Formats: sequence, structure tokens, C-alpha cells
Amino acid sequence: MSEVIVITSGKGGVGKTTTTANVGTGLAQLDKKVVLIDTDIGLRNLDVVMGLENRIVYNLVDVVEGNCRMKQALIKDKRYPNLSLLPSAQTRDKTAVSPEQMVKLIDELREDFDYILLDCPAGIEQGFKNAIAGADRALVVTTPEVSAIRDADRIIGLLGANDVKNVELIVNRLRMDMVKRGDMMNINDVTDILAIELIGAVPDDEQIVISTNQGEPLVGSDCLAGQAYANICHRLLGEKVPFLDLEVKSSVWNKLKELFKKN
Amino acid sequence: MSKPVVLKSNKYGINLILDASMDFEKLLKCVMDRFKEAEGFFKNAKMAISFEGRELTQEEEFRIVETITDNTDINIICILDNDALKEELIRQKIEQFEEEQAGKTGEFYKGTLRSGQVLDCESSIIILGDINPGAKVISKGNIVILGALKGNAYAGANGNEQAFVAALEMDPIQVKIGDVIGRSADKAQSGKKRKKRQQALVEPQVAIVKDGNIYIEPITKGLLNNI
Repeated sequence: MSEVIVITSGKGGVGKTTTTANVGTGLAQLDKKVVLIDTDIGLRNLDVVMGLENRIVYNLVDVVEGNCRMKQALIKDKRYPNLSLLPSAQTRDKTAVSPEQMVKLIDELREDFDYILLDCPAGIEQGFKNAIAGADRALVVTTPEVSAIRDADRIIGLLGANDVKNVELIVNRLRMDMVKRGDMMNINDVTDILAIELIGAVPDDEQIVISTNQGEPLVGSDCLAGQAYANICHRLLGEKVPFLDLEVKSSVWNKLKELFKKN
Repeated sequence: MSKPVVLKSNKYGINLILDASMDFEKLLKCVMDRFKEAEGFFKNAKMAISFEGRELTQEEEFRIVETITDNTDINIICILDNDALKEELIRQKIEQFEEEQAGKTGEFYKGTLRSGQVLDCESSIIILGDINPGAKVISKGNIVILGALKGNAYAGANGNEQAFVAALEMDPIQVKIGDVIGRSADKAQSGKKRKKRQQALVEPQVAIVKDGNIYIEPITKGLLNNI
């Protein structure tokens, strides 16, 4: 039975697309058949982060409008053959697709894939409604900032109102040095406010910027963010994985180790 | 009761829908009456005519046209056949003509195309500006970009593989010429390499189809002679 998961946040720039790319790739590494759908029509990014932009011929809107078959629009990932991407259209806008059409499209994909991940656009308008229409489960991404948490809270409410019951939280871009100084909220503060199950905490990591620019998701690599994403994938499959100790990096011993690694 | 003669306009002129069972002489009279009624509307018009609903001999067709021209100021330029095969042939001829024109004529566009913007041309196009990633130029003829091509370009959009895409800086995501698609190489380069590439000298290049593949080459005299 396949599961449809929407990755959403309300606020823009908190890491929905990066999370979708990394969680999708991580699930593919665990031998699941995964398809990523970019529902951000008009502002597509997921193809760039996945490094698959140059392969796009047809897109989601073409499928919905019947200009091509589903198979023609799906792009196979260059590293994992069991991972596919359905890119969004760049020259159209959110109104090109309706929630009913999204449900139909997702049902068509259910037969062939174990996991269907939907990358939701920022905002709560039509794009959001399209993205959550067919979802069984939602991952809400937020950063430990008041504004992002406000929006996440609104999103969680809207998900509940639209019958997406299984909602979990990813806290992204944690900076442990700032948390320690008391300048940033810690994970508990965030989960206290939002009061939903935490499925992952991802530290702020330079490697993320490098990996998104190169179009190579870093899940599974030995940097902290890569490990955090891999853990999220395991938890999605129902495994119990302890949360990473994100402070490891700031210890003197590790800093020394890093120095030696570089040379 | 339906009328024995119905006039319908189409993009070439008018279509005459005739009663199939009526005696021809009577029908001729109806045609005359119908056109006389409409004479004010059609006054001095020049048009093509086609017939529908009734099998006509050449002579009968001729007599109908004669009736119209004798009794009104309408000029019938030609008689068109209303059959699908011929229409298809005409369409092909028109398209062939358009294709020839596409290679010969050109347009200018000044400005940079940004992500999500599409420029679609019937003829060849010369762009003074860049094509950014996510933007697209489509032309039935050739594409010349006096700037950087960093997005998608589609030349020879009606299937013409002789078309070409030229740019001062060639760094496209995809180039399509006729029915052949070429995509950029996957770049998994480190920051240092990218910097090096940016510093490297950029030169004007042209994309053409050779043996069913897209080739991107520097513009040289020898190459230009082969296009």
C-alpha cells in the first residue's frame, strides 16, 4: 500500500524543497519505490535541487491536461533507478491544476510507487490546496523562528480541517551554538508550541547549501544534516531511531578531528 | 421546413449547403433568390465558394456560379472542393510555404527572457539579451542570441532539422532542433572547478543537428559554410 506524504510549511524558505529532495532520496536508498511531485507551479525548484532540470520535457500540467502520458513526464533519478520526479510547469500558475485533478493524478501513481512525496508551495492558497488534496500524511517543516512557527501552526490547523490526520514536525536549521547561548529556541520550545509529534531535527549545515547548488541530495552522507535526514526516513518507515546529539559538532575534540580531516 | 439553400461563411469565402433532392432548375432559382436577398451584405465581395449537401457535375457548378455573378455584384474567384483529402493537401501546402518563409524572414526581440517566460515565433528570431534558466525560446526558423543562452531553445519547431541555434555564450539546459533534443551535461563540480569555468574564455557557439544528435561547436567559417 503506498503512502502519500505532503511536505509543507506555510512560510517560504524554511527548507520544504530541500527536505523533499533528501527524504525522497533517503527512502530510495532504503529500496523503496519513490516519486517526488513538485506542486509549486510557476516557481519550480525541486528539479534544480535534484539536479534533474536538464531532463525536463513534459511536466505535471502536461499530464493533467492530457498532452502526454504519465510515463513520459516522470524523470528517473540519475543515481537511484527507483526514484522518480514529476516536475512542475514553469510557464503556468497554480490555477492550471485543481485539487480534484491532483487526487486523480496521485491515484494513478499509487499503483507503481511505495511513497509519493509532494513538495508544497509556500502559502495557503490554491497551490497548498492542490498539494494537500491527495495526501495521507504531512510533514510540517519549520525553523526555530517565531514567524515560521506562527505559519506552521496555521498550517497544522488547516491540515486538520482538511482531514490530513497524520501530521509530524521537522525542525530545520537548528543552530546549537545559538540555542546554547539562549538566542534561539530549542526543539522542546518548538514542540511545546506546536504540540505535534517530532519526526526530525536538522541542524543548520553549510553542506546543505553546497549540495543543493550541485543538485546532489546529501542524505546518508556523514555530515550531521545528512544523518538527520537519513534518520527521518527510518522514522517514516516506523523504526524507532534516537534523535541525534546535535551538539557533537561543537566539542573541541570534534573540531580537532575536522581539522585533520580537511588536511 | 429547412431551406433548400443555406449560406455559411468560412475562412476562405462562403459554403453553399444545397438541398439534395430538389430539381436543379428550381434549385438554381432558389440560389438566385437567396443571393439577391443577401446582395447588400456581399456587395462587390470577392470570395471563394464551396458546395455541400448535393453532388454536382462540373456544368452544374458552373451554372450556379454564373447565376450568382450574373444577378449580383459578387465576384466568385474560385470554386473550392469540400473534401477532406484536398483540404489536407491545401493545409500541407500552406504549411510548407510557412516553413520556407520561417527560414527566410526574421524578427528582433530586445530584452532578457527570465524564468517562466516563453518567446514563441513563426519566423527566425534574433534576441538582444539573455535567456535565463527556466525561460524558453521557440522558433520555426533559426535562433540567434546576442547574449547568453542559459535556458531552453527550440529551433525548427515545425520539424526542420536544418535550423540552428547560435549564442554568444552557450550554456543551455536543453536545446531542441526539429525533433532532436540535447540536454546539458550533469554538472557535479566543486566550487573551485566552477570558478575556473567561469573564468574560462567564452566564445560564440552554434548548435546544429548532425547524424540525429545535437552538436554545439564554436562558430568558424568552415562551419558556417556547412549550415
